[in-house]
Amino acid sequence: MSIEDRSEYLVETRNLIKRFGDVIALRNVNFRVGYNEVVGLVGDNGAGKSTLVKTITGTYAPDGGEIWIKGRRFKRITPKIAKALGVEIVHQERTIAENQPIWRNIFMGRELTNSLGFLKIREMEEATMKLIKEMGFKSEIIYPGKLARTLSGGYKQGVQIARALYFKADLVILDEPTIQLSLSEVNRVLEFVKDLKKRGKSCVFITHNIYHVYPVADRFAIMDRGRIVAEFWKSDLSIEDLSNILVTIARTGTIPVEYREINLVSRPLEYASS
Amino acid sequence: MGRISDAFSLVWYRYRIQVAVFVLFLALWALFFALNPFAFTRPFTYTSLMSTMPFTIVPALSLTYVIICAEIDLSFPSVMAWASWVLATSWTHFGPNLLGVILALLAGLVAGFLNGLLVTKARIPSMIATLGTLFFWRGVVMVCSQGFGIPLFMYRDALLFKLLVGRIGGFFPAQMIWTIVLAIILWVFLNRHKFGAHVYFTGDNRTAAQMMGINTDKILIGVFMIHGVVSAFAGILATLEVATFWPSLGEAYLMKSIAAVVVGGTSIFGGSGTIFGTFFGGLTLGLIELGLLAAGVAGFWINLVYGVVITVALMIQVLIRETEIKREAREILSKELPSPKS
Ligand SMILES: Nc1ncnc2c1ncn2[C@@H]1O[C@H](COP(=O)(O)OP(=O)(O)O)[C@@H](O)[C@H]1O
Ligand SMILES: [Mg+2]
Repeated sequence: MSIEDRSEYLVETRNLIKRFGDVIALRNVNFRVGYNEVVGLVGDNGAGKSTLVKTITGTYAPDGGEIWIKGRRFKRITPKIAKALGVEIVHQERTIAENQPIWRNIFMGRELTNSLGFLKIREMEEATMKLIKEMGFKSEIIYPGKLARTLSGGYKQGVQIARALYFKADLVILDEPTIQLSLSEVNRVLEFVKDLKKRGKSCVFITHNIYHVYPVADRFAIMDRGRIVAEFWKSDLSIEDLSNILVTIARTGTIPVEYREINLVSRPLEYASS
Repeated sequence: MGRISDAFSLVWYRYRIQVAVFVLFLALWALFFALNPFAFTRPFTYTSLMSTMPFTIVPALSLTYVIICAEIDLSFPSVMAWASWVLATSWTHFGPNLLGVILALLAGLVAGFLNGLLVTKARIPSMIATLGTLFFWRGVVMVCSQGFGIPLFMYRDALLFKLLVGRIGGFFPAQMIWTIVLAIILWVFLNRHKFGAHVYFTGDNRTAAQMMGINTDKILIGVFMIHGVVSAFAGILATLEVATFWPSLGEAYLMKSIAAVVVGGTSIFGGSGTIFGTFFGGLTLGLIELGLLAAGVAGFWINLVYGVVITVALMIQVLIRETEIKREAREILSKELPSPKS
């Protein structure tokens, strides 16, 4: 078998292209996520980070290229397939129905039903109660029947993360999960990512705040104007290096010469066996 | 705060609109009873209420689905007439049998499907699309009937006729039973079925629903089709009640049915609403109409009163929404300070 016919990554894109009219949001993007790996996807606003993960999870159909998930190749993918393959995404936009209770929000689009489509309400409420405890919500004010619109931003984010938790994803993609969160709420999200890693799962953490992502990531991918311009192991970089690189890329579109040696773009990734 | 009072306030919060509508209904009834004890102690008054209200309430029940989706359907009065013409024509040719009823319901289904396509595939705002089909189906009825009515009173003794609009025990209108049965079915599907869950999501946050994999176009087409069939059923009932097809059938119900839905507490902003509310909203309106007539107010006033009722109900909705948003913002700030537990 030639290398083109297989993918050793959990998720990989090859020459992925996405256009919105005249705007080319993804220009031949080669992105990869390994098994049990936390990837920090960073880059300026408008770099194409959200478009990349939305294409991987089926919200957008690509205009070219391939998506590989668990060794299977797709020309395009639907949200259903992505979820069935264990890829969950917490979108940057809130995917919350404000007038619905927490339990209905957690199961939005994936309700537990009998064969006739009638809802298993008791089961969903109980599962929600368990998730609430698991996530360390203050259970005296958060209960499954509480309406989403009475929740603060952090808890709404929590409801979205609880979906990924319930449906036992192998890869959780978090698109700007820490935006508009208080300090302790940010910490809770970071704890969740560390916990994923501990349980052998993978995570893509999108942010433009490198102070949030640096402590939890294994590797960084840096996007700029529709391209992945650099990838580094965290072990090769300090947080100052990373910030230095991002500033230079924003200014010149290229990475500083002294880091080119350790740039992983278009090289196979060699995971340290541990 | 204790668990019991918490549970109580949760239940109250969830059902507050239903309770409000129900209390309004009882209060109005008590008021009219006090004003006119003679009219409101006679069984005939209630037979009359229950024989005419189904034509308002039935289309309002399925219209509730449409409005929860944050859409509107203005075409159903004409769809009622279109189904009515199909029924009358079929019965005239083939006799008073189930075939005519089935064809009439299918006629409603087709009309609903067309509305669904216009809104989802042609992407015309439902307010405009269904205004178009309101005129279209009325036009079809006019062309088909040449403006003439079709008498059906010779079928009064047919079993089907009695089953649909007969008087049980000589006084209880069968159409009220059908209305209640339909309300229960639509309630079950809205609250206990996946379809109903998706109806709420489609109205509450359509982009989110789509991102979570819900095919909102399919839901919308389904909702318009349900409303088409149910409106057709209302058209059948209205036709049989007076045993005549007439070309302007349904026109009276546009305002009334919309009023029943909004008085019943279904939010015109989409995402929330109840079948229970619509049912008692409709009964309340019937009561108002009856009360006014019993009090000797001329029939000309009825439309004016409906206009006022709708406007006031909408104003209350906007007010409630604004105060609730403010109150919730305050609560979130005061209660949910970041928790140290993690
Ligand atoms: N649905 C869309 N329609 C049109 N243009 C879009 C859409 N989504 C994103 N874009 C454009 O694609 C580019 C990348 O956007 P995005 O992926 O949201 O960036 P990021 O998430 O990195 O901030 C931007 O120029 C943006 O304007
Ligand atoms: Mg983004």
